[in-house]
Amino acid sequence: MQKVIERALNLLAFLLTAGRPVTADEIRTTVAGYGQAEDEAFRRMFERDKDLLRRLGVPLELRPMDAWEVEFGYVIPDEAYALADPGLTDDERAALLLAAQAVRFGGQAAGPDAILKLGGAPLGNGGEPLAADLGDGRFLPDVYRAVAEHRTLAFRYRGRDRLIHPYGLVHRRGHWYVVGPEASDPGTVKAFRLDRADGFDVGQEAEAFRRPSGFRAGDAIPEAPWEAGPASVEATVVFDADVAWLAERQLGRRATIETDDDGRLVAVVPVAGEQAFLGWLIGFEDHAELIGPPELRRRFVELVAGSPS
Amino acid sequence: MTSPRTARRLNRILAMLPWVMANPGATVDELCDRFGYTRNQLVSDLNTVFVCGLPGYGPGDLMVAYIDDDEVVVEMADYFARPVRLTAPEAIGLLASGRALLSSGQGSEALRSAVDKLEAVLLPAGEDAVVVELPDPPLVDVLRRAAAAGDVVRIEHTSVASGRTTVRDIEPWSVFGTLGNWYVSAFCRSAGAERVFRVDRIRSAVATGERFEPPAEPPPPEVRYTPSEDDVRATIALGPRARWVADYYPVEVVADEDDRLVVRFSAADPKVAARLLIRLGDSATLLDGDEVEAATSALRAAILARYQDDR
Repeated sequence: MQKVIERALNLLAFLLTAGRPVTADEIRTTVAGYGQAEDEAFRRMFERDKDLLRRLGVPLELRPMDAWEVEFGYVIPDEAYALADPGLTDDERAALLLAAQAVRFGGQAAGPDAILKLGGAPLGNGGEPLAADLGDGRFLPDVYRAVAEHRTLAFRYRGRDRLIHPYGLVHRRGHWYVVGPEASDPGTVKAFRLDRADGFDVGQEAEAFRRPSGFRAGDAIPEAPWEAGPASVEATVVFDADVAWLAERQLGRRATIETDDDGRLVAVVPVAGEQAFLGWLIGFEDHAELIGPPELRRRFVELVAGSPS
Repeated sequence: MTSPRTARRLNRILAMLPWVMANPGATVDELCDRFGYTRNQLVSDLNTVFVCGLPGYGPGDLMVAYIDDDEVVVEMADYFARPVRLTAPEAIGLLASGRALLSSGQGSEALRSAVDKLEAVLLPAGEDAVVVELPDPPLVDVLRRAAAAGDVVRIEHTSVASGRTTVRDIEPWSVFGTLGNWYVSAFCRSAGAERVFRVDRIRSAVATGERFEPPAEPPPPEVRYTPSEDDVRATIALGPRARWVADYYPVEVVADEDDRLVVRFSAADPKVAARLLIRLGDSATLLDGDEVEAATSALRAAILARYQDDR
């Protein structure tokens, strides 16, 4: 490990100060640590060192040495190398570290390595009895990069190949979604669940699209399952006093609710997805009654009866 | 492939050097605290830095790094004056972790300003581009504090499966969020066993004034459905529009045909299956399961009783 660390530090120092692309040959004869190696041994060492630097976030790029593109050399663009310093205070670093320790992605923690780049923080005691898991994080880095750098995303979804302009990344109700229009239909923003795709290809070109100003990713995913799309009907439901507290917690912010003198909850709920809404209502069994509109009430009765009444 | 240990060590060196250069006079203790070093590890890393530098590798080319009267000194290393940018996994990991805790009401003011600052540099043109929400039911904080303090709590809880409401004394071990819900894992004194409760199904939680000794090694906080002998079983055929059920419920797929998916469903209470069957309407058919059939009929009748004038 010691030799690898020394070689990587020397390689990085050389590339950061070279100010021009340098060939693998020049690196081999110039940077300490490679000199004695045979061809094959050098190739292996160099591959491994490049991989190490890239894993830490070092943007190591291969560029043509001349206009004819005969020879290629390695370069680390200065502007892409360094952290854009967010200027955190010690309290803010500590809070961020605590959050990174409390939150998991399918069992994996974000880890403290990133905090070190931001200036480090004393490790908290691990005894906090709170943890949250945001689910499988496999695809998050790719999707995040596309969202942050305005690159297209290609993936297969519900049996069809998609190419989208990813405007945002949303975690809601236990799932991750990427939201944005398909390139072929830029006017229609859609939401795609990450766990329903089996991989994402990030486009080569940065700034490949413009995100409409004022776009809010959170607005693209309904808060309650029946709020997907524009509401087509307003349902009025009475919840008995014993379940009023539970209904109040589950109704989205778009519902208006009132409690009557007997402790019953009267809710007016904008509904876009009728099936999702009626299904949810069945969860309250006989502790709730759908008052109106009459058409919706009739369809609820039909659903519960199991046959048209 | 380089070992993760090597990567972490190099990462720490490349993070520590800029800090020392930007904060002259930084002491050994401060660096150990901030970067998680032991004194020996720090000395070892400084010695490594001392033998590295620019081609020529003579006294004027190598970096200078040493400890002087407990102060750490780094010189001739200007090219390492700035930390390396965050990788995509690091950036989204920190942003999402911070946003998640804030959305659930568990974050501090310091966390809010930290996440705002981070977002300003990572997503300069993308206000609201990354949204992470955990639900924020009441009582998460009450239960978390009780778990930290070792306070016994009396809860009023409505079971998701049976719909029954019970009052129980629990010894809360930990509060955790997963799959879009918060849970508390606890020793339930009423049941005399370990239990996991969904926090949004807890109507009230009040400390009883008793204390408990938390287990030295509480079981990992996770939601487990372990089928038991007493469970109700049913075989259900799902039509194309009801195939999602297989993603949401712990079912065993018996047959996967073009126009239907046959699953074996088991649950602690027949009502779970009954609610599902009514909800799915003609997209699902119960093939086998007397208890579930009886529960479904009973539930249909109970709900329809509120609508009898309609029929």
